[in-house]
Amino acid sequence: MSTINFAAREINCKIVYYGPGMCGKTTNLKHVFGKVPGHLRGEMVSLATEDERTLFFDFLPLDLGTVQGFKTRFHLYTVPGQVFYNASRKLILRGVDGIIFVADSAPNRLRANAESMRNLRENLAEHGIDISEVPIVIQINKRDLPDALPTEMIRAVIDPHKRYPVHEAVASGGSGVFETLKVASRLVLEKLSKNR
Amino acid sequence: MIEPSLALYGEAFARVDQHLEELLEATGVRYCLLVDRKGFVLSHKEALWAPRPPALDSVATLVASNAAATAALANMLGERTFSEQTHQGENGTLYVESVGDEALLTLIFDTSVALGKVKVYARKTISKVEAVLDELKDAPVPELGEGFSQGATALLDDLLG
Repeated sequence: MSTINFAAREINCKIVYYGPGMCGKTTNLKHVFGKVPGHLRGEMVSLATEDERTLFFDFLPLDLGTVQGFKTRFHLYTVPGQVFYNASRKLILRGVDGIIFVADSAPNRLRANAESMRNLRENLAEHGIDISEVPIVIQINKRDLPDALPTEMIRAVIDPHKRYPVHEAVASGGSGVFETLKVASRLVLEKLSKNR
Repeated sequence: MIEPSLALYGEAFARVDQHLEELLEATGVRYCLLVDRKGFVLSHKEALWAPRPPALDSVATLVASNAAATAALANMLGERTFSEQTHQGENGTLYVESVGDEALLTLIFDTSVALGKVKVYARKTISKVEAVLDELKDAPVPELGEGFSQGATALLDDLLG
């Protein structure tokens, strides 16, 4: 549930990029940071190792502007994708309003995609969050790989019931990044007005 | 509902604001923030003489993440949580203490301020602020207007193209 601050008239929503290691979560965020005008975004905070692998999280505040007198703001987070960082990954999911699941198109990462999705379900369940209550959008990233698997094949593994919207992307070039974020934000906003 | 959240508004907000202001004056700290456990700033005060604060969004996010990480650590050690944390640097101190289960009081001050004094006053403020936050739990959920979603979506289109 989003935090609504009626005195400062602010609404804050938390969107988390989830997915297996090296799938492009941080690259997504960096692209958003690079393309959004400075007055609409805050500083990007990256807690990463020396070789730029995310250690704890990346964070980027994004101002939407004022809606019906409410300053509306999105907080974008990424999680560390590597399997052994689950303790910190779980912490980031706390209070999440929407999730963007970034899947890797490389053939040898198909299993990692599936495992990451299973891990997401487990972690949400541990927070007592019903997975059907959180808006989730799937981004199938790295479509520019020469041996990229077909989208349908990847989807069949992570979303067999076709519950979630899917977008193709090449985050390193920026294509599909804003589209995915837009769909996820829209779902979060819709849920916000429906709940209240 | 995904997670209980705080909606601080109206008269309650003014009271919290007032308590933070008093704490600031009594202790001489630079910045005083009330942050919720998800990393959002609920209220903040800064001393008039203090230089411009660092990006408060970033401070709040890092403080909340740090608290979450140490709480997980506390669980491993058989504690429910560590309610208080002090980070001391060469020139200043960051002091964080839990306010109930949902918020964190964050104080940033330089070496001229005694930590002991801050702790004593912070405890007093926390009990007052906690009482306000407790009352809020029973407050009715505020309604968002009909066209909120459309308005926000339009802005989203502007921002993301």
